[in-house]
Amino acid sequence: MASRPTVNVRSTSGESSTSLPLPAVLTAPIRLDVVAQVHKSMAKNKRQAYAVSEKAGHQTSAESWGTGRAVARIPRVGGGGTHRSGQAAFGNMCRGGRMFAPTKTWRKWHVKVNQNQRRFATVSALAASALPSLVLARGHRIEQIEEVPLVVGSAIESLGKTKEAVAVLKSLNAYADVVKVSNSRKLRAGRGKMRNRRHRQRRGPLIVYNEDKGIVKAFRNLPGVEIVNVRRLNLLQLAPGGHLGRFIIWTEGAFGLLDEVFGTFDKAAVYKKDYILPTAKISNPDVTRLINSTEIQSVVRPAGQKVQKRPWTQKKNPLHNRSVLFRMNPYAKVLRKQELLHQERVKAKKEAKKPKVQKAAGEAFLKTLFAP
Amino acid sequence: MSSDLQWLLIRKNNSYMVKRVAEGPIFSREPGNLRNLHSFKYSGIANAKTIDISDSGSGIQIATRKTKTSPHAVRTGKSTSSLRNRSGGRRTLGIAASYAKRGYRPDLRTAAIGRASALLAAQKEPKPTPEKKARGKKTRAIEQSA
Repeated sequence: MASRPTVNVRSTSGESSTSLPLPAVLTAPIRLDVVAQVHKSMAKNKRQAYAVSEKAGHQTSAESWGTGRAVARIPRVGGGGTHRSGQAAFGNMCRGGRMFAPTKTWRKWHVKVNQNQRRFATVSALAASALPSLVLARGHRIEQIEEVPLVVGSAIESLGKTKEAVAVLKSLNAYADVVKVSNSRKLRAGRGKMRNRRHRQRRGPLIVYNEDKGIVKAFRNLPGVEIVNVRRLNLLQLAPGGHLGRFIIWTEGAFGLLDEVFGTFDKAAVYKKDYILPTAKISNPDVTRLINSTEIQSVVRPAGQKVQKRPWTQKKNPLHNRSVLFRMNPYAKVLRKQELLHQERVKAKKEAKKPKVQKAAGEAFLKTLFAP
Repeated sequence: MSSDLQWLLIRKNNSYMVKRVAEGPIFSREPGNLRNLHSFKYSGIANAKTIDISDSGSGIQIATRKTKTSPHAVRTGKSTSSLRNRSGGRRTLGIAASYAKRGYRPDLRTAAIGRASALLAAQKEPKPTPEKKARGKKTRAIEQSA
């Protein structure tokens, strides 16, 4: 690398003023599979326990009638005088019976994820958030933004009013993403409506700050916008749904702190014990560049003549068509030649054996034949 | 970040994908996708060089990604040129093909020309359908009323 890439720091009015070096964490390897798997497990840790009632389906004193009554041996409700009596009970196949394998509150609701894996996923998600194509592919409206990652000067941390926050987002051309969220707000389908999940909406920008001087209160009422301290970055916010590339707006202080929070490729993090960033398995993932490199081109064989097969030709049966047969089995040609030679030889032998020439009858024979 | 790796990351799922028919083709709504097909060749966000041909309302707009821009640049990484309406078909197609001629994505020549000419065709106002001539009994009815 010739020089370390830098990222412009923008003032709250949108123009770039100073620049910061790109933190190492934003060039970490991006592993989609790790992020998806860690996200899947971490998303489970918020669940609340549920189960059917312990007593459900067992609030009857049913007993089996045993054999000999020409009915199934399932427990049956005793007594008389009501429709219920004599009906089967308890079994999962019975009306009013308990469910199969009743759910229990002591199900394993939480999933442990190894700390290094969690950190790997976080780092991957952060690196993905620094690539415009991945942020666009996630669906954020960042077409009008100058640069990703978007870093704003520290003045943004001391904003106190949402009106000011909106003005800043507008001057950064980032407000389109908030508008997208606002337009996407829909009534949720199903019972979730009455369980404090009335609406569903997209996710907007994630604002990462270093020190809260009012920034949280300024931004928190904007739809879809989430605000988080740089020391407490969370995969569920960095890659919602397990999809990489959240649009992140960094404050200058937070961006400058990233090398301390996550460390670099050769310096351990200050905020995590003995943590250095994972290194990529290959340094150059550009396949085209690799193939066209002199190292590889110098050892590969030159391309052969292009063989173009004619499509849709009739398939020839090699048992009947000799030329196709010879193409498939070259030895068949030898066999065939031998066969022809053999036949010729037999023929020649036959011809060599002279047929009996009828001789004229002998004198003695004729004499006896014409004897008077 | 190489475009090959970026394609692998967005290939399985991205917000521009359009999967309508099971087993059918997968389309893409990406800006810069000349054939609207979900593939690496035509992808408008995975590739480092893309040609985006779109209708801007006041004419055809051609936007390309600059080759020597920073990988982090978004808006500034693009150069756009617009063609006014009534620029004419030959001129528009010539400009669409010029990117391939210059060696900027020569593989996209046919796709670029195809998209440009499709946009040109859409700009034309359709001819008004000729009024139907009355035939048979209706002609006599019209004559009588006249």
